[in-house]
Amino acid sequence: MRKVDLVYTRVRTEEKLLLEALRRRDCAVNLVQDSGMVLSMDRQRVTEADTVLMRSMSFTRARYLATFLEMKGLRVLNSARTISLCGDKALTSAALAAKGVPMPWAFVAFDEDACLDAIDAKGYPVVTKPVLGSWGRMVARLDSRTAAEGVLSTRFGTGGAQDHVALVQEYVDKPGYDLRVYVIGRTVGGLRRRSEHWITNTARGAVPERYEVPVVHARLAEAAADAVGGDMVAVDLLETRGGDIYVNEINHCVEFARSIDETGVPLPDLIAEYVASGAGGARR
Amino acid sequence: MQVQNPMTESVTPNQCPLCAQPVPGGNRLVGEVLSCDGCSAELEVVGVNPLRLEEAPEVEEDWGE
Repeated sequence: MRKVDLVYTRVRTEEKLLLEALRRRDCAVNLVQDSGMVLSMDRQRVTEADTVLMRSMSFTRARYLATFLEMKGLRVLNSARTISLCGDKALTSAALAAKGVPMPWAFVAFDEDACLDAIDAKGYPVVTKPVLGSWGRMVARLDSRTAAEGVLSTRFGTGGAQDHVALVQEYVDKPGYDLRVYVIGRTVGGLRRRSEHWITNTARGAVPERYEVPVVHARLAEAAADAVGGDMVAVDLLETRGGDIYVNEINHCVEFARSIDETGVPLPDLIAEYVASGAGGARR
Repeated sequence: MQVQNPMTESVTPNQCPLCAQPVPGGNRLVGEVLSCDGCSAELEVVGVNPLRLEEAPEVEEDWGE
């Protein structure tokens, strides 16, 4: 029997379904709320479990907890490296670029004027997003120099040093949807997210649709997962009107409550199967 | 790791803090997210025995994917 600690922030639909799926596979599951965890910086054993399923909603907590749990010898899914890369969009881009995975062109800048000059050289429109952030929050499309000045003066004039990073990305004129491919060890399915708005997060109202993942998309998503060492990730793809396909972002804590009915992909079972299989994790 | 939130064997019902609709107890977890049958608000279990509910926070700075 595999012993699994499921680390969570809130027990949402996803966590309830994962808990049931793990128990159906005879896993002994401990539920551990991330806010109550205290981890000493030594290799002292902290759990009877051999595997940790990291479902913390907080990137900060997930990254630190996974790092320390791996240091203590545990198999953590996803790994601390994957969480660190996927949670920071600039580092995701760097990991994809290092492996030659097709993606929208992108750059980072650390100064308002330097950033404006670089955008002027590339031409409008462009997209800028915070390197840390989720659910499409604070993502902006800049259609003109005037818009860029407004957004970037806020980006560089407020917050702290961590906020003073501008990630600028090619604006991809999507045909009314983007694509999400689930990679649980291998590609297991996906969904199309349709929206009139150029931001296509289901958390922002996009409608999920069934989507049979073609082989070329599956291979691309798997290459992206490999680039970040991801065991169980959701890879967001952007398709251009000309038919080119790019990797946009990679999500390390897969959310599926809003789309599981439409996709028909049994993600809780597939994730639980992967956890129970003993594959992947920090001991690779 | 220590089990922080074992499922409760039984908890008493409480009310939605927004509309006072009774919320069933039983096998609740701290951190569990519920939808109120009365007003559809998203509620979070913040304590058990007795059951205590709060309106679930919308987002925190680094939550979500």
